[in-house]
Amino acid sequence: MTNQLTFKGASQMPTISVSFGHMDWNKTGAWRAQRPFYEDKTSPCSTACPVGNDIVGFIQKIADGDFGGAWNLIKEENPFPGICGRVCFHPCESKCNRRDYDEPIAIHALERFVSDFASTLNRKIEKQPGVRKGKIAVIGSGPAGMSCAYHLTKLRYDVTVFETSSLAGGMLRAGIPSYRLPKDVLDREISNIEKLGVEIRTGMPFGENLKLEGLKDYQAVFIATGAHQSRSLHIPGEKGRGVFSGLDLLKKINLSKKVMLGDKVAIIGGGNTAIDVARSVIRLGKKATILYRRSKEEMPAFGEEMVEAVEEGVKIRYLVNPIHIQQKDGLRRLECLRIELGDKDESSRRRPVPIPNSNFFFEVDSVIIAAGEEAEVSFLPKGMEKREGIVLTQRDGSTDIKGIFAGGDLTSNQRTVAHAIGSGKRAALAIDCYLNGKNPEEAIRQILIGDGPSISIFRYLHPEERRMNPHVVTFNELNTDYFEPLERRKESKGVAKKRIKGFGEVTSGYTEGSALEEAERCFSCGTCNRCENCYVFCPDASIIKAEGVFSHQMDYDFCKGCGICFSECPRGAISLEEEAR
Amino acid sequence: MKKVITGNQAVAYGVILSRVDVISAYPITPQTTIVEELSELTASGRMKTVFLKVESEHSAMAALIGASTGGVRCFTATSSHGLAYMHEMLHWASGARLPIVLVNVNRAIAPPWNIWSDQSDSLSQRDTGWVQLYCEHNQEVLDTVVQAYRIAESVKLPVMVVLDAYVLSHTSEAVEIPTGEEVDGFLPPYCPEYPIDTQEPVAFSTIATPDHFLEFRYKIQKAMEQVPEVAKKVDDDFRSRFGRGYGAIERYGKEEAETLLMTSGTVTGTSRIVVEKLIGKGYDVAGLKIKRFRPFPIEEIYKEIKGAKKVAVIDRNLSAGVGGIFAQELRASLYSRERRPQIFGFVSGLGGRDIALELIEEAIQYTMDHPRPEEEILWLGLKK
Repeated sequence: MTNQLTFKGASQMPTISVSFGHMDWNKTGAWRAQRPFYEDKTSPCSTACPVGNDIVGFIQKIADGDFGGAWNLIKEENPFPGICGRVCFHPCESKCNRRDYDEPIAIHALERFVSDFASTLNRKIEKQPGVRKGKIAVIGSGPAGMSCAYHLTKLRYDVTVFETSSLAGGMLRAGIPSYRLPKDVLDREISNIEKLGVEIRTGMPFGENLKLEGLKDYQAVFIATGAHQSRSLHIPGEKGRGVFSGLDLLKKINLSKKVMLGDKVAIIGGGNTAIDVARSVIRLGKKATILYRRSKEEMPAFGEEMVEAVEEGVKIRYLVNPIHIQQKDGLRRLECLRIELGDKDESSRRRPVPIPNSNFFFEVDSVIIAAGEEAEVSFLPKGMEKREGIVLTQRDGSTDIKGIFAGGDLTSNQRTVAHAIGSGKRAALAIDCYLNGKNPEEAIRQILIGDGPSISIFRYLHPEERRMNPHVVTFNELNTDYFEPLERRKESKGVAKKRIKGFGEVTSGYTEGSALEEAERCFSCGTCNRCENCYVFCPDASIIKAEGVFSHQMDYDFCKGCGICFSECPRGAISLEEEAR
Repeated sequence: MKKVITGNQAVAYGVILSRVDVISAYPITPQTTIVEELSELTASGRMKTVFLKVESEHSAMAALIGASTGGVRCFTATSSHGLAYMHEMLHWASGARLPIVLVNVNRAIAPPWNIWSDQSDSLSQRDTGWVQLYCEHNQEVLDTVVQAYRIAESVKLPVMVVLDAYVLSHTSEAVEIPTGEEVDGFLPPYCPEYPIDTQEPVAFSTIATPDHFLEFRYKIQKAMEQVPEVAKKVDDDFRSRFGRGYGAIERYGKEEAETLLMTSGTVTGTSRIVVEKLIGKGYDVAGLKIKRFRPFPIEEIYKEIKGAKKVAVIDRNLSAGVGGIFAQELRASLYSRERRPQIFGFVSGLGGRDIALELIEEAIQYTMDHPRPEEEILWLGLKK
């Protein structure tokens, strides 16, 4: 990989095979021109995980039947495995090398399994021990804020989280319907963070009761107030009766408030909020139709959820654009234009172009606008640079104001739970650097997973342990002769007819058996899982068992450097390098 | 200066003149007198050479592999079982691209025990990656040893110089011996591609995985393919300096002939007489002496085949189950060519039996009398 000897062809090769490696250690010379060595490399899933989970690591623990070990490993990087296992869009799976073989590993389902399994153990979580290094304020108790609070606590800071609402969780609580994320799972994972010693003060809206000047006691502040402002459509009638914002509706439902909706509901938008709203509306016993101005291919909502929505009876009308919401006898009359797709725009999706005189009317009882959310930045302290509705920060989350950091939806348009958790973690690291006079950029560079942007805070805390080459193992670097096609284990789902009767969780997690089977499917790209192929194939019995970081080691007194261990390693966990001069 | 010397002495003169640095050899009949001569020359101080005594031919070649890797000019001589015993190290020398020169005195391989001339020993080593040069007379022996070093060091391949037991090894002829200065002008000192520095030891002949092994072998083949051109230049230079040259092959007799007689080693000397006699009788015949067996000089041979309809090949060797090896090589290399004369493969003279004038004449006569051979192997002088 790194210093491996490879020649394109005979013309590049020397006349004879010769190693210029120093031979003082063996006066009769060795066969070896290259030496193999164990070296863990980065898996594509881990580098794709915005949270920075050690995915191969925890899956191996599951495969070993060590579910508790898997839990501990995940918790090093992520305080929210139960949440991520349910609502993350799992970019890890789209980068899984097994995708090129049969189907990717159901990483999200395994993560959820570990979290659900751990919750049955009723483990007592102790307060983070050790003397506190300082006091930090976190504003916002969503995934970014709580992740930051969690990691800061583990870094031995006293953390206080301030939350506007009466309950912690931010968008996790307000924006995600409970059929996707049950409230008990959210409560459990937030309370686990509290048990470590994080104080959450609810009912403290930032900018009103709470001002930056009032936080002088804190040595640093992390602001993660999210994006809660529904975007306007800028069409006449959108402020009228019977017209709601998608996020407000979800909040009401999530906080079990009464919702007044007519029978026929139109939802305008194509993102995840639109889908969440539509599926919630169906669960309230109404009819839901999504109006989206582009076609299915351009729809930003996650594919799986669109499928589930349609199963549940949500109608989706593509290529329509409402231009006017009129009121007529208690009904809403939507005047729409038909759309055709033009050239690609800056989001590289095809631009919707209205067809002139294609106006038609669509009559409904309620209209819900779910055209995306924006961050509320007006209350933020002066001196922070803002652009297009988000706060601009450095990679480490630092703002233009010293000691003030920001993250989550407030600072990014990616708007996913995983990105928010990742940004909270990065800010925790940056705050620690800031308070200890370390260079955060350098610290981040040291602990990037692969090429990043995700980081491993475990490596920040234990720089000498679990060393890993940042090289990301590709499918071609695997020896797939040692794998056989195996179907991806599916999580079971309730039938659509039953699940629309309420807000119960749609997907049930893995059984222990399915989890073990799915974990066994993992190629374990780049990480030795003690399969012992090297031990079996070495023609010179030069692989010997060892106690240490690796379960085996090479016996260089006898290793001929044939590279058979390297080529027969199914997962690229052995490297070859030229004998050093 | 002319001297009357045996073939084995001619070898020794060739070695002295080539200023060989290291000799390692084990005695075996009929090679013994070569080593005897060289050890005496070394012991008396007339030759500035390191003479390594070893317990076997395998060790002799192994020692030279070490010495040659060290960057010096090396020599050994052997015969028959000795060469067979060296087999593994022969591959090593070529694989490591070491320009070692070996003289093999052709002798049959036992059992039954036999110490007389037969090419089966050297031809058994045809696939070891060595250049092989066969000699007709003692002058050619001396000259070929000197030329062999220049060829070997140019293409980085080992060279085997071959002469017949007794007919040359122990038979004296007048041989012109060039001076040391004359040979120095022809043969520059050896400069290795990878010199050894004992302060900075490295490892030679390390493993090459399936990713690269084929390419190393390809390079050896490419080096072999350079030999015809290199050997021709060397031979031309030699001729210009010493007035003697041999080529890869030599044609004698009629310039165009329907029947060709192909021989190697000392059989050629006898054949020259037969061919000349038959031409005198009006026979349409010519002779082809094959000096270089590896790489097989098919281009040179093909030029000489011209209008020939038949080629009689006399092999003093036998690959049991197939026949004579020179005939096989010729058949195989002509297969893809446009002109393919009938090949008459005669096997004769094994274990040192004399291939006399009458047998050669019989072979030519048979070839002219038959449109094609009646059998794959035509036994010449076999007592049924």
